[in-house]
Amino acid sequence: MFIPFQNKTSKTFGQQFLQSVWQFGAIFALAAFLGFSTNQFRDSRLPLFEKWSMEARLISSSGERLDISLVEAKRMFLEEAVIIFDARPNGDYEKGHIRGARSLPWHEVDQRFMELTKDISVDTPIITYCDGETCELSHHLANFLLDLGFTNVRILVNGWTKWQNANLPIDKEDTN
Amino acid sequence: MTKKRKNLSRFFYLSARLILGVIFIYASYDKILHPKAFAEVVYNYQILPDALINVTAIFLPWLEMLMGVFLIVGFWMPGSVMWCNILLVVYISALCFNLARGLDVNCGCFSTTKGSSISIETILWDVFFLAFSVYLAIVVFGSGFSKGSN
Repeated sequence: MFIPFQNKTSKTFGQQFLQSVWQFGAIFALAAFLGFSTNQFRDSRLPLFEKWSMEARLISSSGERLDISLVEAKRMFLEEAVIIFDARPNGDYEKGHIRGARSLPWHEVDQRFMELTKDISVDTPIITYCDGETCELSHHLANFLLDLGFTNVRILVNGWTKWQNANLPIDKEDTN
Repeated sequence: MTKKRKNLSRFFYLSARLILGVIFIYASYDKILHPKAFAEVVYNYQILPDALINVTAIFLPWLEMLMGVFLIVGFWMPGSVMWCNILLVVYISALCFNLARGLDVNCGCFSTTKGSSISIETILWDVFFLAFSVYLAIVVFGSGFSKGSN
């Protein structure tokens, strides 16, 4: 083991430890100060406390539930009464997606939403989905569409997995 | 200690500081820019209560940034090294906990964007960094330890 400067300091271990304790506290305080003051002056300030439960995140700002059951989503799909948006990255969409779903990756939403929503009236039923119980992409996309003025937007939570498990129609992009 | 050995040990010490410093700054940068996305990563770990998620997302990246800068410039080394070891142990524990219970979450280690799920590889990287961090702790506290035990 290489230990440089071994004889450089005159501090004992106790002194060194005490020094590290106050520095530990000072670094904590400094980081807290920088973090909270930066957050305070940020345009998109993060609230200090927020409800993070799944139920809370499925409620729109106007207080409506945004989630939709698989049974309901299936019924709307079969009636061709809904536009479905896949919020996952394009690569995941190409590997497989709900039949007829449009790819609107959350990370490209600003560039692509105009093109993909221009033929949809504001009251058209829309379903967004991604994959995984904790996947946030469909939530973000749904809230984004609501903010744009679409009035009938729902989220199929864990949509891709649920859809496949129910053996409902899917499509895969031909990569050849 | 011979001069050659002294230079070599100084090189190791400075390299460890530089490597860890750069890693922590790199890890904090994206999280500072996107606190909301980082809060989601923290939430997805399913470890902290709701009340601590946003506070952690605001505070933790700055702690990493400060630690990274202090390690590089050699300021408040005992405190910085202590934080470095504690954080890496906490990160490894959180990663192991979620890997063991099979939760597929975005690691959020270096970026807030989706695509880096936790894996054995992620944990091994953190263990690798912890080895550097423990080495720094031995160096920083080692001299005082040997003095105090005399």
